[in-house]
Amino acid sequence: MAASQASGTYFDGLTARPHPVTLRLTDRLEIVGRDISVAWDLADIVAGETPPPLMRLSVVGESARIEFTDEVFARAVFVLCPDLYRPEARDAGGRWRLVLWSVAAGLSVLLVAIYGVPALAVRLAPLVPDAIESRLGAAVDGQIVNILGDPPACNDAPAQAVLDRLVARMIQGRGLPSDLRLTVRRHAMANALTLPGGRVIVLSNLIAQAQNADEFAAILAHEFGHVVARDPTRSLIQATGSSFLLSLVLGDLTGSTIIVALGQAAVSAGYSRDAERTADDYAVTMMEAAGGDAFALATMLERIAKDDAKDGAKDGSKRNLTNFLRSHPFTAERAARIRALASPGSAGRRILPDEDWAVLKRICTKAAPATEP
Amino acid sequence: MHGRAGRTGLIAFDRKAPGLTGIAVRGFLLSLITFGIYRFWYITELRRFFWSRTLIDGSPAEYTGRGKELFLGFLVALAILIPLYIAIFVASISVPALAPFAGALSFPILFVLGQFALYRGRRYRASRTFWRGIRLGQDGSGIAYALMAAGWWLLTLLTFGLAFPFMRASLERYRIDHTLVGSSRMSSTATGRSILGPWLLFYSVALLPVILSLAVAFAGLGFAIPEDLLVERGSRTILNPAYDSVTKTAIGFSVVGALGFGTVAGVLLIPFYRARETKAFMNAASLGPARLASTLRAGQFYWPYLVYFLSLIGFVLLILVIAVLLGGGLHLAGSQSGMHIAIALGTIVLYLGGALLVAVLHVRLIQARLWEAVATTTVIDDADGLDAVLASSRAQASGLNEGMADALDLGGAIEIGL
Ligand SMILES: [Zn+2]
Repeated sequence: MAASQASGTYFDGLTARPHPVTLRLTDRLEIVGRDISVAWDLADIVAGETPPPLMRLSVVGESARIEFTDEVFARAVFVLCPDLYRPEARDAGGRWRLVLWSVAAGLSVLLVAIYGVPALAVRLAPLVPDAIESRLGAAVDGQIVNILGDPPACNDAPAQAVLDRLVARMIQGRGLPSDLRLTVRRHAMANALTLPGGRVIVLSNLIAQAQNADEFAAILAHEFGHVVARDPTRSLIQATGSSFLLSLVLGDLTGSTIIVALGQAAVSAGYSRDAERTADDYAVTMMEAAGGDAFALATMLERIAKDDAKDGAKDGSKRNLTNFLRSHPFTAERAARIRALASPGSAGRRILPDEDWAVLKRICTKAAPATEP
Repeated sequence: MHGRAGRTGLIAFDRKAPGLTGIAVRGFLLSLITFGIYRFWYITELRRFFWSRTLIDGSPAEYTGRGKELFLGFLVALAILIPLYIAIFVASISVPALAPFAGALSFPILFVLGQFALYRGRRYRASRTFWRGIRLGQDGSGIAYALMAAGWWLLTLLTFGLAFPFMRASLERYRIDHTLVGSSRMSSTATGRSILGPWLLFYSVALLPVILSLAVAFAGLGFAIPEDLLVERGSRTILNPAYDSVTKTAIGFSVVGALGFGTVAGVLLIPFYRARETKAFMNAASLGPARLASTLRAGQFYWPYLVYFLSLIGFVLLILVIAVLLGGGLHLAGSQSGMHIAIALGTIVLYLGGALLVAVLHVRLIQARLWEAVATTTVIDDADGLDAVLASSRAQASGLNEGMADALDLGGAIEIGL
């Protein structure tokens, strides 16, 4: 074939000086100009990315370049040079491999966040030193109180005395942490929260909703079950780890997520089904040992479930027992299990005399009016 | 002055940028399905596009960086940052007295680290840039730059922002003076004085009212923040009710008003300041005898921003209309779950479509049009001086630190442009 020819500019890779040259395609690419006579092997030539019609050629691994705008010559180069666009072709192939790998990596981090972190948290929670755990508890306590809108602590003296006696009787000889701290706060929500480091917060509406001392005590016993199992610490580690991993994948690594997780973990406190069962078992044993009605927890759970169903029917009514339910799911199943476990002899027993229960129910009367949401 | 009129070299960029939309769409979608990991390859592709379409004195620039390098840098940065975050977290848990200061403590560390990463990221970009077969480079110390930036920011804060243009010029001089094309060093004569005017205009309209109103409020309270201005209520800190009357009148209205006005004025004036600063800094840069000369006008910066924001507002309005319609649809659908799923799916598709549109508009309008404005208004005086540029045998810089800038989430840290 006739040799294609075009004029172009040669840069020797040593200086930026442009050299006008004539380009000639034979079995090699000949570059000829004043003081310049170079020939490149066609197989070594690669084209750079440039806006057409400008074309820039070079040899793999060398810094000399030629630039030209002749489109006929460009087509001839395209036909004769086998590896002209090899780097781009390699990139395009690599792109799909990359997409596959990163989807796989992202999914694996997701799976680790959902399944791996909880498994890890179970093993890590018992290893957290008590001192750290109680500091964590203090930090979370402050946050929770803040989130709840600063509900005032209730400590009507006679009621507090009854409560202290009740708790002392329940935990006697059961190996609960010595720094167990139970506080009652005035709040329209009926809920009890267990925080790391043996802190239990009872919101006053829970006491109001309980129909007798045993129902209230049973819920305390259930929360003590979470304390013994260190569920709050585990759930905190789990939520922190998972959100950290997720934020890592999603690219936000400002560290703020850790702080948010602290609060979220404790408020939602959604423990696993197993953790709830264990806490229920613990509550049954504790209630029986303390001379209370082991069926009370089941009664309370069933009433919650019923109220909740009613709420669903007429939406808008603010029945607050649902709060407890939301953080303590699987109600019907749990109630049945408790009934099966409890010894029939405990049914109908009272953990407190009625007059003591009446005193205890007034624990929040002296507290400053709460800022109720 | 040599007395002879040197040849003027042009810088060109095709504003139509054919192919750019495809890169942006693909980059956005692949980043989405790869949990964002593709962004390093996307940004690499964007850079290759912008570099190769920018013709400096007739020759296009070349970008030879790889997405893999940025990704590895990101991983290494995580390996450095995660222990740092954990250390800060553990410290604030185990020393409760430290907890309130954890944020204040970690900020300077992360700021200096971020400036270091920005400087080293620029070094990486320079070392992956070729022009006429000659590799660019950057020397100088990332640590020195980071400390300099920290010091300047401190001074800027202490002078209520008046030192800002001097900081900008000083950092620009450091960056440009350490930029090499081959073995030729660029140099910058940027001065704070050359951008003092635009800055003072921005300052007096957008910032001064805020600062003054704060000062007045301060003076109204007796030139001292009263110790009992904030009181503990339960575990929360609130404004002392005793200051209600003062706070409501003096502080409240003036500060809120000034803040609102300052924000609007700031948004409107930022393109003006940016354009003037870019022009001044361009005019100050030279490479040997070849000097850059810019005729950039602020209007060329406003236009892309205006179109971008108008399209964003238009899109938000469209979303609102559709949301209202959807709300009506939901109401009508009642408890038909099939309808609910359809509406939820529609919302997701709409949201993703909107995000895609915004991403494409950002690349096409903000990045490409601003790039074009700067490139095409800049010429090279005495362009023959470029011929003297010699290649050098410097090793190329690693991409590790640009990954760090990304991990630190420095807004747009992975930049397009040097
Ligand atoms: Zn529970």
